[in-house]
Amino acid sequence: MQAKRALIMHPQDNVATAVEEIGAGEEVAIPSAGDVLTLTAAETIPFGFKLALRELPQGEIIRKYGETIGRATSVIAKGALVHIHNLEGTRARCDLERGGAR
Amino acid sequence: MSFLGYLRSDGSVGTRNYVLVIPQGIIAKSVCDFVSGTKTILTVDHGSGRTANDREQIARVLIGLGRNPNVASVIVHAASPGVGYPELAAERLAEEIAASGKRVELLDPAKDGGTYGAITKGIQLARRMVYEASKLRREQVEDAHLCIGVKCGYSDTTSGIAGNPAVGYLYDKIVAAGGSALFGETTEIIGAEQALVRRAATPEVAEKILRAVTVQEDLAKATGLDIRTVNPVPSNIKGGISSLEEKSLGAIHKAGTAPIQGVLKYAERPTRKGLYFVDNWMGHLSIFAGYAAAGANIVLFQLGGGGVAGRTLLEGAPSVVAPFLWATANPSTHAAATDSIDFYSGTVIEGTETPEEAGERLYRTVIDIASGTLARSETLRYTEPIDMYLQEPRF
Repeated sequence: MQAKRALIMHPQDNVATAVEEIGAGEEVAIPSAGDVLTLTAAETIPFGFKLALRELPQGEIIRKYGETIGRATSVIAKGALVHIHNLEGTRARCDLERGGAR
Repeated sequence: MSFLGYLRSDGSVGTRNYVLVIPQGIIAKSVCDFVSGTKTILTVDHGSGRTANDREQIARVLIGLGRNPNVASVIVHAASPGVGYPELAAERLAEEIAASGKRVELLDPAKDGGTYGAITKGIQLARRMVYEASKLRREQVEDAHLCIGVKCGYSDTTSGIAGNPAVGYLYDKIVAAGGSALFGETTEIIGAEQALVRRAATPEVAEKILRAVTVQEDLAKATGLDIRTVNPVPSNIKGGISSLEEKSLGAIHKAGTAPIQGVLKYAERPTRKGLYFVDNWMGHLSIFAGYAAAGANIVLFQLGGGGVAGRTLLEGAPSVVAPFLWATANPSTHAAATDSIDFYSGTVIEGTETPEEAGERLYRTVIDIASGTLARSETLRYTEPIDMYLQEPRF
């Protein structure tokens, strides 16, 4: 079966973006610096959503476009979906400055 | 390359050739309903009960639309509720528009036989002005006369990886040709400001970008709300965007890679050519009128997909006098609303085009539409009201 496609926007990124729907357990081929990185999707990754390139510990800064897009709110397995259930943005958040609910 | 445009007396070049009737109201609407080739605005922002800053902002929009290169001549009427304030007096608006060398006519119900009289006189004037404008021919001009404004909306991940990069290529090309390019949406650069600051032409510009972001971020925090309940908006999250930062970092791709020459207020005209950041709000009914008032002679809405499922018709062109293009890189959006969309760059995701190739195709589309080919939105009579970006309380 042909590997599904995902894109890395910058070499420092720790997530890739699926450019087609990827089923759980399917192989993913990701072009990276002239090479192709392959990994297995841990769960369904819908079109346009992100998957982790390696295991990300809780609190890890998540990078896309070579920049910070948020941090991991729990451990994220390699190949798992990265979205609002396990990534939080930290900008413009008065609740964070007050030390309030996470 | 070059495009075919209408040369104006102030040296600017129009991509369209309208007679504009302002401000909004029954006189303007009646004249425009009666006379083809005319444009007016529809808005509730007439200025009554507004602060001096906001009244000046409204005046800047009206004067700016009048001075827009796509406008051949202007009729200003004195029947708006805001006209009693000095900032919005019809004479003041007319005088500042006329400074560009355009023909400007005034209608005053108090002198022209009441509302009915002013409408009648307006129709007679507008017919003559449209006829006069029609004698002007398009001429070949340099791309340096393009002034473009952009926003991205209903953003999803296709926006950041394929839609905005094509727009970014277009922006670099227009700026390199000596043209002007505007982008903005201050909330949507939160998290991406460092990437923009690195491109500021001077330290002053860098400081202005940071200040705009700080003000906006502090306003968000002052609400006591978690920004995540507001932005990214539900359609962004549905489209795969997980945080405001991610949205911002995808959004800034539409501004290309050129140095940022300055930071402008809503509806403020750039003083020189090049790329400018506009400290404005993302709402499409607000932002495009602001770009047109700043002098944009063409505008573009780069569309994602999250929130437009099932929409087979994309309506509205809230840029008043500037041709309004829809672009998308989302295959579902494109398939649903093909006859509303001027440009598709999902090819970048499908692997059949590079972002540069898609950008080059977008550039040629823009040149065509600037030269007179209709934007798809221009084939609809429907237009939406505009929502001027006013930030102060009303009293």
